[in-house]
Amino acid sequence: MSLIKTIAGQDLRDMFAAASSWLEKSSAEIDALNVFPVPDGDTGTNMMLTMRATMEEAFRAPDHSAAGVASAMARGSLMGARGNSGVILSQIWRGLARSLEYKEAFDAEDLADGLDESSVTAYKGVSNPVEGTMLTVMKDAAGAARTQVEGGEKDILCVMEAVVNAAADSVARTPSLLKVLKDAGVVDAGGQGLYTILEGALRFLRGETEMMRLRKPQIIVSELAAGPSLPQASAAVEVPYGYCTEFLLKGEELEPDTIRKRLEKKGESLIVVGDESAVRIHIHTLNPGTIIQFATKLGTMHQVSIRNMDEQHQDFLEMQKERTPAVDSAVIAVASGEGLMDVFGSLGAAAIVPGGQTMNPSTKDILQAVEAAPSENVIILPNNKNIITTAEQVQSLTQKKVRVVPTRTIPQGVVALLAFDYEADFKTNPEIMEKALPSVKTIEVTRSIRSTKINGLKIRRKQPIGLLDGELISVADTNIDVINQLLARLDLDKAQVVTIYYGADAEVPEVEKISASISEGHPHLQVEVIKGGQPHYSYIISVE
Amino acid sequence: MPVKIVTDTLSDISADLAAELGITLVPLYVRFGEEMFRDTVDITSGEFYRRLVTESALPSTTQPTPNDFAEVYRKLVGETDEILVITVSSKMSGTYQSATQAREIVKSRCRITVIDSLNVAMAMGLIVLSTAEAVKRGAGLDEAAEFVSRATGRVHLIAYFDTLKYLAKGGRIGKAQGLLGSMLSVKPILTIREGEMAPLTRVRSMTAGLDYLYNVAAAYASVERLAVEHGTTPADADKLVERLHQHFTGKPIYRSVLSPVIGTYAGPNAIAVTILESEKK
Repeated sequence: MSLIKTIAGQDLRDMFAAASSWLEKSSAEIDALNVFPVPDGDTGTNMMLTMRATMEEAFRAPDHSAAGVASAMARGSLMGARGNSGVILSQIWRGLARSLEYKEAFDAEDLADGLDESSVTAYKGVSNPVEGTMLTVMKDAAGAARTQVEGGEKDILCVMEAVVNAAADSVARTPSLLKVLKDAGVVDAGGQGLYTILEGALRFLRGETEMMRLRKPQIIVSELAAGPSLPQASAAVEVPYGYCTEFLLKGEELEPDTIRKRLEKKGESLIVVGDESAVRIHIHTLNPGTIIQFATKLGTMHQVSIRNMDEQHQDFLEMQKERTPAVDSAVIAVASGEGLMDVFGSLGAAAIVPGGQTMNPSTKDILQAVEAAPSENVIILPNNKNIITTAEQVQSLTQKKVRVVPTRTIPQGVVALLAFDYEADFKTNPEIMEKALPSVKTIEVTRSIRSTKINGLKIRRKQPIGLLDGELISVADTNIDVINQLLARLDLDKAQVVTIYYGADAEVPEVEKISASISEGHPHLQVEVIKGGQPHYSYIISVE
Repeated sequence: MPVKIVTDTLSDISADLAAELGITLVPLYVRFGEEMFRDTVDITSGEFYRRLVTESALPSTTQPTPNDFAEVYRKLVGETDEILVITVSSKMSGTYQSATQAREIVKSRCRITVIDSLNVAMAMGLIVLSTAEAVKRGAGLDEAAEFVSRATGRVHLIAYFDTLKYLAKGGRIGKAQGLLGSMLSVKPILTIREGEMAPLTRVRSMTAGLDYLYNVAAAYASVERLAVEHGTTPADADKLVERLHQHFTGKPIYRSVLSPVIGTYAGPNAIAVTILESEKK
């Protein structure tokens, strides 16, 4: 492929025109990524409409230089910006235009400068920049261009490849930066939109126009799955969102910075961008009247849009309902300790009921989780021998169908959940899960609460004691000795995976020592260490 | 004149076997940065996987162009008047579209039927091989096309993945998305449902994964043929073949390698077993 050293105005325009059609193809899917109340329910559509206005103006521009096209794009996007994401997008073009001023064409370094300026301008327009949104994606994309150029790269195509890769990674990371995204298990819609535009531009540069006609953009998948939706969190919280208020203000000698300051306390998600002749304002407010009153004093208002966000929220919830696939069977697990709860959540448990040794949940606690589960068929993993009976009570109290897989320990619960077969029905799955239980051995290490004699062992108060599959068979002066005694009873040659869940009171140096000693003694074993954070048990170890 | 069969390289049918059976393979493309390769033609699986794990930038893939198919059609219209094209699932690749569009480029009286196999790898490969035999027995174009549609219901692919990273990054994760994000290191077992990747279950180790693959395969009572393929671990796949041979005495088991384009999404260490059930009489 030949080197692309510079891009002139016409190519700049064609490149983003192609990117704009590319974005149009996935605007509906981007809409579906929205997470309320991260602003606006229709990010994909808003960005698409903004891009249309941007490119219409670019095609009208009399000046065919790179500077001319970029400034037309900036103007078009400011006039036609829709929604929060559209306004930020207009800032991105504004930054690019500012950086390309007076340039007939631009090279790789100009591109890096331009993207930098886009990033800076985008952040400036927002009064409270939030990371994990399209702002972050823009920043990461610009950073990648800078790295390429500093490495001596002259080919614009190579720079754009790096930009698009960085944008993709950045989009995939948005859920780890923004909790609402993580909870919903989606990536940021605005970030995805921006990535799609950059990707479209890259594909145009590569000459893949035919392919762009046939295929459509891919939505990036977050690497984090949806977090566990605990039943207590599902109770509806009714906070009014107010009105999403947007308009274009035209006038003379307008001061965007002053306007932003005046409006800062009047609502949320405030964006004020533009120049002395036109300013676009976007705000979520409980009182749109005061905003309008303030604005009419400064100039004339255009494209005024005031939408009730509570209604939007209702629509959104309906849409979410349709999107959430009805699962044949939902699994509910009982566990305590933040780490262990996360483990079950990350493996796909629909809910986790807090509880375990010495803090058994009530039948009512479990019943609530069953009722809230997103399925008519619910499988319960009690993960403790004292909770199995409690869990079995639930069956008679609900209309739903309930099965209890009698898991007696946390490792058994994990094994059962892993064995869950996505294609099996509700009758077969509990059987498959129960059949998996013997494949794991459980070691639990705790401290004796009193001096006693049991199973022929003489135990002093507070001495470390060890249980193998629930049976107390070991006592020693240190946790490590207890663990070694128990491991010696197992045929580790046949085992493959050892998982150490260390408790809230375990100390990290000791954890590392235990893990290292198992690895050294049995190099064929895969040893995994997880901070379980459980109370009472310093260690829960699973041997599979 | 007998029907000529065309398929793409995602069928994982080796060039030798294809030549022997008179099947034409159309390659997809895999790209590392600026370097573009025709799948299995310009780059071997061995070379591909070596680069996959050593290079920081992930490869990308592209379907064959309509013109790639048109060239194949043009060549074949001199030899036959009926062409059957079997492509990888249209939910995973645009190959089906290219193959369909190419029909309009080639103006010929030759009948060309394009079928979406709704499958990938040897799940598509076994359909193609079984269809090739049906053609050899004398099936015409319509009969062969119908044979393919029926065969999609008889084929089952069960694949062990070392990681879902590549599938997720490549945007082909389909219904298996729910398996992402585990805090424990788990190995997903996937299948194909309605033309997309779908989850079956999870295991903790490759040994457990291979046991699972064996158990699912061995559970089928009436099997026409099987296939086992690997990405980077031939010895493990061979062991699985040995076990399956003992269970399915006398059934053909095809041994294949996951093509570079498939490897782009499957990543290293993947192993897949495919079962084609016998046709119900």
